Amino acid sequence: MSARSGTDHGPRTIEAGAPPTRYARGWHCLGLAADFKDGRPHEIEAFGTKLVVFQAEGTGRLHVLDAYCPHMGGNLADGTIKGDALACPFHDWRWGGDGRCAGIPYAHRVPRRARTRAWRTLEENKQLFVWHDPQGASPPEGVTIPRIEGAFSGEWSDWTWHTLRIDGANCREIVDNVVDMAHFFYVHHSFPTYFKNVFEGHVATQYMTSDPREDMTAADTLSAQGRLRSEASYHGPSYMIDHLWTEVGDATVETVLINCHYPVAPDAFVLQYGALVKKLPGMSDEEAAQAAAQASEGLAAGFEEDVAIWRNKTRIDNPLLCDQDGPVYQLRRWYEQFYVDAEEVGAEMTDRFEFEIDTERAVTVWRAEVEANLASRRDAATAGEG
Amino acid sequence: MLEPVTCTTCGTQVLVEKRSLPHTTVQWTSPTTRCPELAGCAPAGVAVCTRLRASIEEALREGRLRVTGGDG
Repeated sequence: MSARSGTDHGPRTIEAGAPPTRYARGWHCLGLAADFKDGRPHEIEAFGTKLVVFQAEGTGRLHVLDAYCPHMGGNLADGTIKGDALACPFHDWRWGGDGRCAGIPYAHRVPRRARTRAWRTLEENKQLFVWHDPQGASPPEGVTIPRIEGAFSGEWSDWTWHTLRIDGANCREIVDNVVDMAHFFYVHHSFPTYFKNVFEGHVATQYMTSDPREDMTAADTLSAQGRLRSEASYHGPSYMIDHLWTEVGDATVETVLINCHYPVAPDAFVLQYGALVKKLPGMSDEEAAQAAAQASEGLAAGFEEDVAIWRNKTRIDNPLLCDQDGPVYQLRRWYEQFYVDAEEVGAEMTDRFEFEIDTERAVTVWRAEVEANLASRRDAATAGEG
Repeated sequence: MLEPVTCTTCGTQVLVEKRSLPHTTVQWTSPTTRCPELAGCAPAGVAVCTRLRASIEEALREGRLRVTGGDG
């Protein structure tokens, strides 16, 4: 057991706080671009409202508008794409990707004020992004989504992609995982041996090395195969690119995972994730797709484990930390930059911050726990034979 | 407790805490523009500046920085 120190204090009172009523400023991934290019409009519930995504027929470009038509409130997601415009199902008002009314077939003229909100979009890595800013400004220089070369290369698999809606939790819960080394052992059954965070500007990175857990079967753990090295960065408030290198026999398998979300309401968000795997020499497209699907399944299992915790936990603004925990407060200080007005973003939120955990104690204790689990399994097997 | 440490290569001063020998906290209070290893790199795209790390280790050896053993 750990040593206790200090004087006797009263019980700690949890400050649950209230989730923020505003939504983060930044690029938010809505999904794979190809999934929106089927000739139909798509409704997205996000940022406390509804959006509609549609592809202009002429230009082929994806556009995002407010879903509700400013004429009489019809839902454009139930409408029809007509040329480069989206037609409302209620009265056939036509809306262009720039938000201007492109025509009202039954009217002599289009009212001068006929504009709806067009959301700034970006297609990168074969995914669609939308820019959200409560102040209505453009993305600052340098705040963009980095290109992932594997997404455009025949040497890599295609994206796998999954969507999961989480109700009853604010999206800060998933961002907290960036610094939470110990939960990787207890929730995800992996075995971190190295763990470091760096926050700088709008990026938060987690550097981690983890080993497989010998007391877990492949189905129980994210890193069943061999030693795994991971470099995972949030580029802004919601889009994480995770580069993984896994030792499998003599080979190193390279994987890119995406973990991203967009908020639906203060207490609901949509989690999306997917994987790309680099083909090993001699690997066919089918085998690469299978490897990506396997990586994706590992991710899916991991998120289900997180969701099981989120479903029954409380929001906590004042976590009680021990000496081997990651920098939760500094992560939240970094995350705060996306929730304040741009002119309120302070240097303390964006100045580079590095935190390398001393994993020595955790590794010793965890190794003993794994050994004990293996021993009791051996005992059970022996008893079964006798 | 964070203590100031100045990098012997570029002269940038950062705040450092060593709770134990393997643990390190580095809080920058200025941009990384003078750092020969980090300047121009993607933000949070490089885990460590090895020269700053060497300066921290030197400060520890010379007793200008102490292991605190503190909590989170």
